Amino acid sequence: MTIWQPARPGLLRRRTLLQGMAGFAALAATGRPARAQDMPTLVNSIRSLSNPYHATWNQGGEAFAAAIGAPYVTLVTEGDSEKGIADIRAILQSTGGNAVINVDPNDAPDARPIVEAAVAAGAHVLTQWNKPADLHPWDFNPNYVAHVSFDGVEYGGRTAQVLIDAIGGAGGIVALGGILSNTAAIDRRTGLDATLAANPNVQLLDFQVADWQSGKAFDTTSAWLTRFGPDIKAIWAANDDMAIGALEALRAEGLQGQIPITGIDGIQTAVEAVRAGEMAATVFWDPFWQGAMGLSIPYHARTGTFDPAAEPPEHREFYGAATVVTSENAEAFYNEHIAATPEMDFEDLWGRVSGQIRQS
Amino acid sequence: MTAAAGESAAPPGRLARVPWRAMAPLLVLAGLCLVLGLVAPNFATTGNFGRIATSAAVPAVLTIGATLVILMGGIDLSIEGAMAVAAVAAALVVVAVPGPWGAVAGAAAALATGAALGATSGLLHVGLRAPSFMITLGMWFIGLGLAIWLVGGGTVSVRDSELRSLALVRIGGLPLSVWVALGAVLLAWVVQSRTRFGRALYAIGGGEDLAVQSGVPVGRVKIMAFALAGLCYGLGAVLAVAQLGQGNAEIGEGRLFAAVSAAVVGGTSLLGGHGGVLHSLVGVIIVVVLSNGMILLGVPPYLQQAVQGLLIIIAVAVSLDRRGQGLVK
Repeated sequence: MTIWQPARPGLLRRRTLLQGMAGFAALAATGRPARAQDMPTLVNSIRSLSNPYHATWNQGGEAFAAAIGAPYVTLVTEGDSEKGIADIRAILQSTGGNAVINVDPNDAPDARPIVEAAVAAGAHVLTQWNKPADLHPWDFNPNYVAHVSFDGVEYGGRTAQVLIDAIGGAGGIVALGGILSNTAAIDRRTGLDATLAANPNVQLLDFQVADWQSGKAFDTTSAWLTRFGPDIKAIWAANDDMAIGALEALRAEGLQGQIPITGIDGIQTAVEAVRAGEMAATVFWDPFWQGAMGLSIPYHARTGTFDPAAEPPEHREFYGAATVVTSENAEAFYNEHIAATPEMDFEDLWGRVSGQIRQS
Repeated sequence: MTAAAGESAAPPGRLARVPWRAMAPLLVLAGLCLVLGLVAPNFATTGNFGRIATSAAVPAVLTIGATLVILMGGIDLSIEGAMAVAAVAAALVVVAVPGPWGAVAGAAAALATGAALGATSGLLHVGLRAPSFMITLGMWFIGLGLAIWLVGGGTVSVRDSELRSLALVRIGGLPLSVWVALGAVLLAWVVQSRTRFGRALYAIGGGEDLAVQSGVPVGRVKIMAFALAGLCYGLGAVLAVAQLGQGNAEIGEGRLFAAVSAAVVGGTSLLGGHGGVLHSLVGVIIVVVLSNGMILLGVPPYLQQAVQGLLIIIAVAVSLDRRGQGLVK
């Protein structure tokens, strides 16, 4: 890990501070700065280190860098697209293009300038979650190695299916959605709707937006208990925080464990609730894998393990496989991912490919 | 004058008109309940009133805290940050200290954290002679940053702590948290209306220069008000952690807008000097009843926020005292 100086130090104090902090944190964690002259610099560009999702992503990157002994840099956008792009350009400059970049672009349009800059500098790049629909890795062979996303439609639908199975295929359910205009919220709801359409004996009693928040989900669920009472057989939530809010609203009335609830994200409280039989399921994206394999795949392309141009489209733009945590695997999942640092085979490049991304 | 009307500084000579304006929020609440009772069959049930009370506990505590500052003509934007750091502190202490004492220590940690943050806001506001708007905006982000730093952005689970009895133990059909919130409201009302400090809040809100000349220790009162407000946010954090079984930096999200709009809806003026704790309590209940009612009626999610915005405008329009206002900003 190197502490990287921005190109325009006088202008960019916040950036310096944040990177300094990230650098010190990593130094404290590893105890030694890895230095290797010919190794490419491994770069994770993520939103911030302040949410558990990206903090775990960063741990994955550190673990992979430590395993191959390469220098490692974390860039944080803090939700600022300009900063995200400028930081990547600066690191391409300072490494002379000898870099492997794993980026979660702040916004979909950011992916294009990032990819073009990386390709022009001769670095290898992999994007995750966000990119424009008409930007494709195969148009930038071999440097734009791959794009990885996760299918919100699929997992929104699969958690709904867990609920429907739990209530025996018939009855009324209520659903808590994320912020209306948010892509993830829309995808997950689309999956819910598709599963409901395939199960005509299940009625969606009401769909409400709780802005991803547990407190709001608590109040909404309480009001639902007044409106629908015992007609509510199950509760679907677009994320875990809202699922926890719903669960606690049930607990306040002594109903916990009697009405199955599902969430998505795999936060600790939700995994504990699944273990305790109070939630039916959650979905774990595995940010550790995203942080580690998002570097390992382009690293292996750079070192010649495979030729990106020769790979099929489903290895270039693919949905990663997430884990649906239910009562059946909750105990094992908890021990593997929450109680311990996960172990990962960094050579298993395509093990989690679960299909090519839909072209829209 | 009634208790509610007694909170307004009544201009002399027009007493006949004052109670109506001061009572407007209460009438809005009564009207809202009447309409909901008629159109939503399950609204007027003991079960639903219990749920409304449960949902109102946390916002009530936060809003009375904010009210103490708003009465002085100041504003406290630090609610979400103070709540975040207090909630995280509570959850971390609960996890670290085993047994029932963990719950007590956790609650104490949250209260102390909230009060300390509030006192800091007050000291900076008075010491630097800087607007409370900017100081508390800064404290919001400091609080949020501290909370994120303490837990690395994660969520601390306290699912099985004794602290949760605040939300899960019921007395007279209502969770303990509702009684705690009521106790806090009562205490704040006594402080506001029966103590020298409380009168000083109105004096400062009515006109700070006059208060100074009348010998009110303005600086000390302000620092105390911010500290008490912070204490309320700490209490709100304890109740929220007990209710949700977890502490994280996001626990305060959206609470600032809810608290300030509830205060305004209840008839507490952002200009200071008018309104009070009981007004704000009525405002909180209006906001909670409205969101409960909208779900009972099946109002589509995208309309709900618009209805809440409309409510704020209506409430301000009916409760604003326009006399003596030369300029409307």
